[in-house]
Amino acid sequence: MPDIRLLSEGIFEITKDKKQLATLNLDPGKVVYGEKLISIEGTEYRTWDPRRSKLGAMVLKKFNVPLRKDSKVLYLGAASGTTVSHVSDIVSEGAVYAVEFAPRSMRDFIGLASRRKNIFPILADAGKPDSYAHIVEPVDLIFQDVAQPNQAEIAARNAARFLNKGGYLLLSIKARSIDTAASPKEIFKEEVKKLEQAFEPRFEILAARDLMPYHEDHLGVLAKLRSEPLQGVNLYKE
Amino acid sequence: MKINTWFGGIEVGSSGEILASDPFPKDVRELALRSLSLRGSRENLPPECFDLKAAALECGFVASLSEYYSLLHEVTLEAAKLQVSEALTPDQRIVQAVEALDDINETTNSLSERLFEWYGGYFPESGLNGEALALFIVKYGSRENVPPDDPLYLKARDSMGAKLEAADEALLKGFAESVCGLYSRRKQIEAYIESSMEALAPNLTMIAGPMLGARLISIAGSLEKLASFPSSTIQVIGASKALFKHLRARAPSPKHGVIYSHPLINTSPWWVRGKVARALAAKLSLAARIDFYSAEKNPSLAGELEEKVRKIRAANPKPPQKRQEGGAKPKKKRRK
Repeated sequence: MPDIRLLSEGIFEITKDKKQLATLNLDPGKVVYGEKLISIEGTEYRTWDPRRSKLGAMVLKKFNVPLRKDSKVLYLGAASGTTVSHVSDIVSEGAVYAVEFAPRSMRDFIGLASRRKNIFPILADAGKPDSYAHIVEPVDLIFQDVAQPNQAEIAARNAARFLNKGGYLLLSIKARSIDTAASPKEIFKEEVKKLEQAFEPRFEILAARDLMPYHEDHLGVLAKLRSEPLQGVNLYKE
Repeated sequence: MKINTWFGGIEVGSSGEILASDPFPKDVRELALRSLSLRGSRENLPPECFDLKAAALECGFVASLSEYYSLLHEVTLEAAKLQVSEALTPDQRIVQAVEALDDINETTNSLSERLFEWYGGYFPESGLNGEALALFIVKYGSRENVPPDDPLYLKARDSMGAKLEAADEALLKGFAESVCGLYSRRKQIEAYIESSMEALAPNLTMIAGPMLGARLISIAGSLEKLASFPSSTIQVIGASKALFKHLRARAPSPKHGVIYSHPLINTSPWWVRGKVARALAAKLSLAARIDFYSAEKNPSLAGELEEKVRKIRAANPKPPQKRQEGGAKPKKKRRK
């Protein structure tokens, strides 16, 4: 009998031979990207590979993932939907607005999105939130994995438009997509500083950890909107 | 304040109450098309954190939240499908063709080598390889079938090769047929690229030739991306390894990437290749931009480039002298 432990709402750790991350399968019987299905007492779980998912890695790196079953999520950088499928499992009664820029990835993603009613696929540039402002409602979490040099700015623009007060931002920063030559540590410092100060709205960083050993040169960041303006610091005009 | 949403236009009062609404017809395809047409609009955007679903309920577009979500699901899906099907533009077809050509070249080379080794055991004196060898095997099979009027007749008769048994002969013939098929596929793809490059990017084709032009588009990803690259990037497209080595460590910067295959560069003496590459890349980026934004052929481009290259060669007739040890000759920085 596999041992099962709840890590966070909708996220489980199943011990069967070895410890594995898993979510409840919203689309029973279907495998999305080659993950394993495990049935326990009539309930089907899908294992979640942290090496293929930044969010999965963040869970194992003890990030407090602010997702509930009715959460509304704006997911920037959906790619072919590996991680989106798990988010869709977790927010079974919520909504995932999944933005992806590449038509090629969207082609793979559409099959998944059509099978899961809580996924809303949007083919658009995450750097231009105005282009999907007529579709996306205010959300509780923005998850961003876009590998763009202006990641912090993209996060701020989307948060300004779509993030509820008290909402969270989960961000995966890929050092190599910001500067191929500089040292990742320096880049991470810079990016965190940008999130805190460079754009409106500003963020308060709750946690920032690298995603080793699951992803090399990636930093995971959990942040929320800063409630009051910074005192005495005016780096940029409003 | 007027707001555009995926389900229609609404008029909102100062405290967020809905004054008037003009919902779109409740048809998935219609809604998807309207949603796509709203993408580029900067006017009447919903204010920050505007609750679209509450508005849709209030103005009576949907009766329940579950209806809102299931309709939005259908509409976003339909819109995404429409966008995906529009994404296969003529330049994307060329990108696929270039990549198919690379795959075919790689496969053909290794299969040809295999055929050469294999058939070599039976007729090592043939002196044939590649497509000629494959055609020979398809035609005759065993060297015993070479007729007296064939130039290889004597060699075939006196060959030291082993006797080719019927079963092996059938196998080799079949294998050679596959190789011949690949060679003709290669010609077909090359012809396709040549004709479609002439239609899609006449200026780029004029400067670079169809194959190099297609390769540049393929590596850039699309004609639009190629048109947006600075010429310094076009100059080193395909030399990313050398470029990043240069940026990270103290390696010399690459002079040229795939544009090296251009006759203006590879027939130039080595000491002007960097300069020629720069001039060529400048014209290539101009050509790509004309092709993407206006698509009119500008015949003067080729002449300008030739003139420029002629000047470069005339100004640098001799290889540069190696600087002598200790000679405190100031480093010349030439920028032109």
